[in-house]
Parts: sequence; structure tokens; C-alpha cells
Amino acid sequence: MSNNRVSRRQFLNYTLTGVGGFMAAGMLMPMIRFAIDPALQTKAEGDFVQTSQKIDEITEEPIKVDFTFEQVDAWYKSDVTEAAWVYRDGDAIIALSPVCKHLGCTVNWAGDSAHPDQYFCACHGGRYEKTGKNVPGTPPTGPLDEYEVAEKDGFLMLGKKIPNTLG
Amino acid sequence: MYFNVKDVQQFEAQKDFIDTAIVPLLSLDFQEQSIKQSSSAAEYLMSLTAFIEQQFKGRLMLVPPFSYTEQTKSGLFVPLLKEELHNAGFKHVIFVTCDHSWTSLQDQIDVIWLPAIPLESMDKEVKKKVLEDQLKQVIPILSSKWSQS
Repeated sequence: MSNNRVSRRQFLNYTLTGVGGFMAAGMLMPMIRFAIDPALQTKAEGDFVQTSQKIDEITEEPIKVDFTFEQVDAWYKSDVTEAAWVYRDGDAIIALSPVCKHLGCTVNWAGDSAHPDQYFCACHGGRYEKTGKNVPGTPPTGPLDEYEVAEKDGFLMLGKKIPNTLG
Repeated sequence: MYFNVKDVQQFEAQKDFIDTAIVPLLSLDFQEQSIKQSSSAAEYLMSLTAFIEQQFKGRLMLVPPFSYTEQTKSGLFVPLLKEELHNAGFKHVIFVTCDHSWTSLQDQIDVIWLPAIPLESMDKEVKKKVLEDQLKQVIPILSSKWSQS
């Protein structure tokens, strides 16, 4: 027993290392925490907006789905309502932006009685096929944008606007 | 299009396509018994014209509202305003108002008069429905204008 006695020097060494270690850890932890914080942040579901449209009720005929989200413009918050034309293509749900690629009017499905299976822009007679592809010879120069879609509890959720992927 | 720098630049580049000006004529009344009603009419007119703008963004420009009170109204020379907008390149100039008295100028200017609907008491869904119904009254007027030229 007496052989194993901890000397004063050893005791002080252990104690200093221990306390020093805690202090170093106390300083480093918050720093590391700050550094990797963006990676730890749980990504809010905020990118997707809930709509009141049931997935089951979507058919092959495009319907207008309204959705509202909060837009912050500097200090000014406002509720913005936008719409999407949504239809079913086999198992996939396609959501198209109703904003005309010509000058930004709102297009309507079957808006022109002469072309009941196309989107129609009343401003300058622009037309789009069901997939959003612009009809050549009309003013628009590109296809309608698409929304990312997701499902939650059977309801449709719409995400970011992306360029048309349907070709 | 709104009357802001970005949209005006686009208007200058696309004058062939953007040929219509929408001018709200807004009556203000600050008397105690009618100030509330006046603000309700203003809210309605602003919501409706913004909705028209959203639908027909690429063909029309929504000009900031011309506001007047009963006293200053006589100084608002609406036919002159129409002339100036014509000269700026707007083929069609359409005035939208909740003030019935402008309909007396109907032979000089194109004016759409709509009775004010109090939107403040409605919830969002109903409000949207009402505005859509009102828009349906405006669309035929616009398309008949546009098909003339």
C-alpha cells in the first residue's frame, strides 16, 4: 500500500491535467458547435407548401390548385396565393405553374374553346400542350415551369419551381 | 405590369404587346360618417385591380391610383389623362372605379364602374371567390376592347 502512494507531484499533475482538460473542452465545444451548426440544423419542411387538394382526387384532367404561403419582403410580410395546374400522369402527379413564359399572364386550361386540350393565355393567344410544352407559332418561347410535388397524409404538397422536365 | 422600374423597362421593350393601361380612380372621403366606407371601397378597388394585374400581367399596366376627394375632384381632368397615356403608347386606357359619377363621362373615356363590396369581413376563401366573380365581369369588357384592334 505504502509503495503505491501517490506523490504530491503526481497528484498535482493528474489534477491539473483533469481540470485543464475540462477547461479546454469547455472552450472548444461551443466553437465546434458553431462551426458545424449549419449541418446540424434540421431542414424545415418549409420548402413545401401544403395544399387542400387530396391526391386521390387528382385525375388526368388538369385542375387548378390554390396554395398560400407567407412572403417576407424586407420588413413587410404578406400572404401570397399562387395556383398550379395539377394532373395525373400514370402514377406521377404533375404540377405546372400557370405563369405564361411570354410576359407573365396567368394561363387557363381549355381557356380557348377552339383548343380544349391546351393551356391558353388570354393576353396574346399563347398556347401550351398538357405537358406544358409551348405550341410553336404562338408568342411563348419556352415551356411552363413545373413545381416539385410531395405527398403528406394523402394531401398534395408543392415545392420549388423548377424548369419543365417533361420535354 | 406595375408602375415600377423593372416593369416599365419591360414595357418599353415590349410596347407591341403591352397596350392597355388600367387606371383606378379612387374616391376618398374623410368625414366621420363615411371614412370607414371610403376605406372599404379603397381596399376593394386595390384588391380587384391587383387581381386583374395578376391575370393579365403581360398585356396591361396597372397605374397607381388617382385619388381625389369631393373638393379636389373637379381638378382631375380624366380625359386629359387618357390623352397622355395614349401618347405614351397605350392603345387602350381603361378607368376602374367604385364612384358612380364617372359613368357620366362614358362617351369620352372607357370606364368600368363596379359597386364596392366590403371585403374586410370576409375570410380568405370567400374573398378570393368574390374577386374571381368580379373579374369575370371585367374580362368580357377587356376582350371586347382587345378584339377591336
